[in-house]
Amino acid sequence: MCDGGDWQMAVVQIPLRFTPVGSNRHSMTAQTVQQGDLVTVIGLEVHVQLETDTKIFCRCSTEQTDDPNENVCPVCLGLPGALPVLNEGAVEAAVKIGKAIDAEIPEETRFHRKNYYYPDLPKNFQITQYDEPICQEGELEISVEGERRDVRIERAHLEEDPGSLQHVGGSIDTADYTLVDYNRAGTPLMEIVTAPDFRSASEVRAFLAELEEVLEYLGVFDAGRDGSLRIDANLSIIEGEEADENGEIGIDALEAANRTEVKNISSHKGAEKALAYEETRQKNAIKRGRVVEQETRHWDESRGITVSMRSKEEEKDYRYFEEADLPPLRVSHWKDEISIPELPTARRERFRSEYDLNEEAASKLTSTKQVADFYETIADEFDPDLAATWVADNLLGELNYRDMEITDIEDRLEEVTRLVELVAEDEITAKNARETVLRDMLDDEQDPDSIVEEAGLGKTDDDEVQSAVVEAIEENPDAVEDYESGDDGAINFLVGQVMQKTGGSADPGDVNQLLRAELEK
Amino acid sequence: MSENIFITDETIAGDDDGPLAGKTVAVKDNISTEGVRTTCGSKMLEEYVPPYDATVVSRLKDAGATIVGKTNMDEFGMGTTTETSFFGSTDNPAAPGHVPGGSSGGSAAAVAADEADLALGSDTGGSIRCPAAFCGVVGIKPTYGLVSRYGLVAYGNSLEQIGPFGSSVEEAASLLDVIAGPDERDATTREPPGGAENDTDGKSYASAADGDVDGLTIGVPTELLEGADEGVVETFWDAIEDLEAQGATYEEVSLPSVEHAVEAYYVIAMSEASSNLARFDGVRYGHAAGEKGENDNWNEAFSQARKEGFGDEVKRRILLGTYALSAGYHDKYYKKAQDARAWVKQDFDEALSEADVLASPTMPVPPFELGESLEDPLTMYLADANTVPVNLANLPAISVPAGETDGLPVGVQLVGPAFGEREIIRAGSALE
Ligand SMILES: [Zn+2]
Repeated sequence: MCDGGDWQMAVVQIPLRFTPVGSNRHSMTAQTVQQGDLVTVIGLEVHVQLETDTKIFCRCSTEQTDDPNENVCPVCLGLPGALPVLNEGAVEAAVKIGKAIDAEIPEETRFHRKNYYYPDLPKNFQITQYDEPICQEGELEISVEGERRDVRIERAHLEEDPGSLQHVGGSIDTADYTLVDYNRAGTPLMEIVTAPDFRSASEVRAFLAELEEVLEYLGVFDAGRDGSLRIDANLSIIEGEEADENGEIGIDALEAANRTEVKNISSHKGAEKALAYEETRQKNAIKRGRVVEQETRHWDESRGITVSMRSKEEEKDYRYFEEADLPPLRVSHWKDEISIPELPTARRERFRSEYDLNEEAASKLTSTKQVADFYETIADEFDPDLAATWVADNLLGELNYRDMEITDIEDRLEEVTRLVELVAEDEITAKNARETVLRDMLDDEQDPDSIVEEAGLGKTDDDEVQSAVVEAIEENPDAVEDYESGDDGAINFLVGQVMQKTGGSADPGDVNQLLRAELEK
Repeated sequence: MSENIFITDETIAGDDDGPLAGKTVAVKDNISTEGVRTTCGSKMLEEYVPPYDATVVSRLKDAGATIVGKTNMDEFGMGTTTETSFFGSTDNPAAPGHVPGGSSGGSAAAVAADEADLALGSDTGGSIRCPAAFCGVVGIKPTYGLVSRYGLVAYGNSLEQIGPFGSSVEEAASLLDVIAGPDERDATTREPPGGAENDTDGKSYASAADGDVDGLTIGVPTELLEGADEGVVETFWDAIEDLEAQGATYEEVSLPSVEHAVEAYYVIAMSEASSNLARFDGVRYGHAAGEKGENDNWNEAFSQARKEGFGDEVKRRILLGTYALSAGYHDKYYKKAQDARAWVKQDFDEALSEADVLASPTMPVPPFELGESLEDPLTMYLADANTVPVNLANLPAISVPAGETDGLPVGVQLVGPAFGEREIIRAGSALE
């Protein structure tokens, strides 16, 4: 193992391969790489905050709070004499991720110290993993423009998050002073390092979206949490002729090319924008005959550009060595003991075949584990098609309009189930259920039965409809005459009359039938 | 207290009753005491007051002990004489005008001068055994993992343990009884083989001090006598004869790897120190440099604080440790030292399969005169030749007074197998 080496270096020391899944394994790249083309090569380091109740090396809460330095203790403040004790919940989450990305999980895992000075780092070293990470050589299948393929994941390791800095009176280089908040210090992080397998910013976005979805399915990640996803991306542009007949780009070409590391990306949408910008910037430079500097650039979200960090990147020497305060942890048996749920891709496939859903509906209904679980409850109890309409279109649509997630109404899913039941059992019309009851439920937090009762939306019983039909015929002899003389449109007028009499609670189709039957008499 | 034993005089009362009720204990100033400053003998932490107690301090309080003060030490434990302390040197109560040894010099001196019944020190490469030998008291360096390090300000964290001093083996062992045992806050602590449930009163460490060495085999590693002071060696052999007279037998054994132990020890300890001491940057606690706004950037502020707060020996070890871990030198120094460490462990395992305990002079020399060794760090490092191999091997060792040479105290070191504290306590008590 290289001593004190930088993992970024390891990223490029792997031969590049573009690996579409299936029989046309190489055809996609072979087509895209032509003589004279410029090929974009991107690799990612994704930092994911793991959802655990407590921090990775102490018992402080990981809850986010507005009070600075509230969730701290001697360990996460790096006080003299404090010692780390590993939170096995973080290891469990890491093993789940390892299983989900089909990674190798070693017999034993251990921690190293990465030594560097920075004001947000309480001990001026970070406890992380080096040559024995918890996950190695995994992969994640993604779908880009209908094409499915695997992205290789070289490694994924556990580490502690540093604290956070708040620059007062300016930005990082102009601030009057800087405040340090250690609430975040010690939050468990998983750093996921991909091979340089991406050829475009949109592929990166697809990967990150898929990754987020998988992590949420595993219950180890909360995308809604501020700073829960942080991405560093390496991007370089290679001349198309450097690629071999399979479209693969060798290590020599990649090492020869200058690469920029883009930091400060915090979402999959941001990643797409930042990398598209950086790709264009580098291609333009090359087309104009300029050299692309090897440097670190900062993604400025508000301006939509990447900015040079100016400081000439010196090769950092982190002086990695074993963290003796944490004995190696045997994890070989954890793999078998920890189970993971069905993952989004597999579940999508199953939804399509089991419930006969189209791709769009299947995709919507598996977007989060909670949505998929809810759909299956409804589909099994009532009818898959009705469930699809209600969950994918009605519920998610109304939630989205209100900027809400299904998790926001977690404790009211039974009420939604009841609403679907009312529709399924023909107690109210689908239109009323959707436009009145569901909206009122979300806006006023009332249960469906009371809304139906208060608004008098219950479907009117047959006798009442029948007498309204008779009444309407008696009261409107002109319309009856028109109908009888062949003007079929006159029936619509009569339907309207009946609807008025029943306060809109009758089914217009049923009314139409009843009117015709009555008029035939 | 003309000897300058304590950095901070402070009485911390313990519980009303317990095994140490009525006993006074001096605590080395690198062991955290809630509300009482813990300086590590450094200007860097001159005003640092920990908000928490080290596990051993909680255990002292629970056992009814009264803490009488925080003792002087070499800065951050880096020294063999207690002279690198920012708070001045400590005189040796057993040999005035001489150093008390180090780095736990204040703790050993407190027991020797009867300022406390017992004391706690820490031993990274001999820092309990050396001052015990120089001050004519008993000191025990426990097996790595027997005593919690939670709250001990780290120097070489893979090497060090907190351990007791006492005026007799039984006294020291009674303090070990209180502080030993697993701690959920220190992941490296372990239950001794056999388990706590076997650890009844009848089998306490103190009760092992029965002086019964009949049938005991003592291995004497010849390498640890080479180059030692003649008077020290004579006193040592007298002690071995004494044990023989009580029914023990001795044989010479060999630890060929120990010739590399001092180098390996210093590379490992300094490497770890370079990382352990990185946290002292003046941001959260400790010495901060300059007034607000005086330094343009954090990098300058950090280096200024460290320049002002650390003494020369600490700076020397941080620099050497940083170097040993650096890219390009890591394999040549740090990795080689780890290989040597594995070799030393193996040699001890072999020697301890032939003998029950291993014996040597604790220190190859009698106490230095005050000021004598400060100028030459290398002499000081070499004085650790007999103690550091034990830390590399994670084994327990005791230093017991064995007499004098030219009126200066000499200690004998007995090394046992991992968690073999009772063996060395028993053998050590036979020398009293
Ligand atoms: Zn904490």
